[in-house]
Amino acid sequence: MTSLRTVLPAGAASRSILRAAATGLYLSITVLAFFAVAAIVPGLLATHSPTALDLSHSLEGPSWQHWFGTDESGRDLYSRVVYGTRESLAIGIGATAVSISIALVLGSIAALARRFVAGAVNRVIEILFAFPTLLLALLLVAVLGPSAMTQIVAVGIGTAPGYARIIRGQILSAKDSGYVEAAVALGHSRRRILGAHIVPNAVRPLVAIITLSIGQSIVWASSLAFLGLGVAPPASEWGALLDAGRTYITQAWWLIVIPGLVIVTLALAATTLGKHIQNILEKGEK
Amino acid sequence: MPTMKSITATSIALGLAIAVTLSGCAGGGQAPATDAKRVSGGTIVYGHQQEPACVFGGWIEQAYLSYQVIDNLVSLDANHKVVPWLAETWKPSDDQLSWTFTLKKGVTFTDGTPVDAAAVAYNFDYWLQGGNSTAEVWLQGYYRSAEVVDATTVRINLLKPYPRLADNLTQSYFGIQSEKALTTRSKEENCAAPIGSGAFIVEKWNRGEDIILKRNKNYTSPPANAKHTGAAYVDTIDWKFISDPTTRVATLRSGETNAIYDVPAIEWKNLEGQKYQLLKYVTPGRPQQISFNTAQGPFTDEKVRQAFAYSLNRRQIVETIGRGVIPYEGNGGVSQTTPGYSTKAADLYSYDPKKANSLLDAAGWNQKDSSGYRVKDGKTLEVVLPYGAGSIINADGASILQGVQEQAKAVGFKVKLVPVPQSAFFGGAYSKPAERDLAVGYWTAVNAGILYINWRQSLPDDPNYNNAAFLNDPTLESYILQANSTSDVAEQNALYQKAQDYIAEHALAIGVYDRLSTLAVSPSLKGVWQETAQGGPVFYDAYFVK
Repeated sequence: MTSLRTVLPAGAASRSILRAAATGLYLSITVLAFFAVAAIVPGLLATHSPTALDLSHSLEGPSWQHWFGTDESGRDLYSRVVYGTRESLAIGIGATAVSISIALVLGSIAALARRFVAGAVNRVIEILFAFPTLLLALLLVAVLGPSAMTQIVAVGIGTAPGYARIIRGQILSAKDSGYVEAAVALGHSRRRILGAHIVPNAVRPLVAIITLSIGQSIVWASSLAFLGLGVAPPASEWGALLDAGRTYITQAWWLIVIPGLVIVTLALAATTLGKHIQNILEKGEK
Repeated sequence: MPTMKSITATSIALGLAIAVTLSGCAGGGQAPATDAKRVSGGTIVYGHQQEPACVFGGWIEQAYLSYQVIDNLVSLDANHKVVPWLAETWKPSDDQLSWTFTLKKGVTFTDGTPVDAAAVAYNFDYWLQGGNSTAEVWLQGYYRSAEVVDATTVRINLLKPYPRLADNLTQSYFGIQSEKALTTRSKEENCAAPIGSGAFIVEKWNRGEDIILKRNKNYTSPPANAKHTGAAYVDTIDWKFISDPTTRVATLRSGETNAIYDVPAIEWKNLEGQKYQLLKYVTPGRPQQISFNTAQGPFTDEKVRQAFAYSLNRRQIVETIGRGVIPYEGNGGVSQTTPGYSTKAADLYSYDPKKANSLLDAAGWNQKDSSGYRVKDGKTLEVVLPYGAGSIINADGASILQGVQEQAKAVGFKVKLVPVPQSAFFGGAYSKPAERDLAVGYWTAVNAGILYINWRQSLPDDPNYNNAAFLNDPTLESYILQANSTSDVAEQNALYQKAQDYIAEHALAIGVYDRLSTLAVSPSLKGVWQETAQGGPVFYDAYFVK
């Protein structure tokens, strides 16, 4: 069979790809907007109270009345997911902020400091890399107690070394670029070179990284909550929902599949948006 | 660092994992043919929930394990009768101040040393000196000395009469270990592989994974309520630690394990339908109850405690989440399977939000904030309820506590649930009066004598760290002490009931549900039973059929 691609002129193919990409972008923006509303005014979207017991309707599957079904105490899962958005997003954004801040400091020092200091910081990044995030999280939970804040700190520290590496690489490549060499040759001051050339060029990819990181942090935090290291009940942070649902996995699939899909949807939407922003920024660079 | 690709891959993997779990491979559940024959030997792979720090110790999870390797002086049969184990006979003196135990002859520990009067006497002193925290709190205030009369006769001297001594000695906290092992080996060795005279011997502990127990081929001392004599039928028990209940059930279904502990309520009916043998034992002693902090905070006021009790429809929560498997318990003192149980105490508080509201009004908590929580002198009625998540309270229990939280909210209590990890919980987190308002937990026992441990006064020169209500009440204590030393069973039970009624009337503790010890056993494994002192699995009589 003749493939579609050979029939369509080259321009049409690229247009259809662009259209698909744009649909992806709009879809992800719509999804993120929905979650933003859920985080800010959950009451607007929820159909029930997230904690109200309805013991006569426990473990009922998705229906018109309960879109995502009910849990063991008859609580409405859809409303719990909606009310859990704020905490889940706070963890995603909070952990990203912690992680990027640490990464910026460590990455810049590793790239710009004197050889001895840079070497030492590089070793610190490597040690952090080698330290399992889960172990670190356990340590923090033991010290601080399980809470959203602990999750933010644990995931933030755990994911920081990866970003620190990226930032270090970006700064180094900007430092060795032609325009910086030209600026040095023109006799610009160190401060001006750093402020006008290195930092903006090194930080631009961060915008994309941040959106990617939010989704990834939620996935990380969910895995902590799944292990029972998350927020205190009856909070309905998505990872905690997954954790609570696993007892019922063989009888009430919706309790684990739906929160899982919600996490995946958000992570995909944030990642798609991040990719688009990255593409736009890269085009801008050209 | 995860990328978009890896996230997509993770999602697909997650989906597949769910699909696999949902399809629930039923390989292990295949029932053997009706004419299946007994096979000799084999390894029982048993999935247990919790991994304790040592094999022998003061926690029930340790008792379940040590029962396999360490024998006791006496055992408790299904009719709650004390029957011989290492001791053939026992008798209290006329003044009830000393007990004489006569031991079976020719029994040896697995290190070859004899189970004699000297070893037994040594063990009593060992427990009291910190060798077993639970044995210690049972005997504290009663035990005076252990005396060797001759090689097979030991006399236990008491400070006060304690007619239920033999009943209590059936719990595995009172297991008899080799004196030689206790005195010559390191603490670590005795922790990981204690030497008893039991049906199995600890071969290896792979921490975080499992304990391998090998059959004691020379076993001669089964309790009188065992189903056979001589060595155990199987060669090995692989005692695995699988903390996640869903995984435990999945391993049983897939045939990876032959028996599992703590069956989630939701799986009970299904497993039964799939021909698994299900065993349930409602542990006597303190049920899963909520004790109020009577030393500081809002619950120092009896009206507030009663209001909390009236605000809850405990039966409805427990019966919904427990799905007919977990029994509701109204009594805050002892569970319904405990001899001397008071139904009066159990029935004192039924769901009555109106009464709860008027009691709170009367107690001065008559303002409400915007969220509906009660306020007094500008302070919100917030109460902290920490619980040992995964150790003392399982997943079903955690759901029940969320039900309690929500129902108490309706009358204006802001209950803050704090799940405490096992290490922190046993490390003493939330054990001080300033740290919590409510305490939830159980304490298994064979009789209502458990009230002594839980409600004895905590005095400066004689502290009681197990008094969860932080209550020093001489009246309550006097009922319990009187009961403890009364020989007539009916009279003793009446006194224990008086204590339970007192606890209920003053709302010092309220029951929630009864703690269970449950097992699901594969159809190819026969002869597993639950011992009746604490409900632990007995694998001594178990065998495979094919």
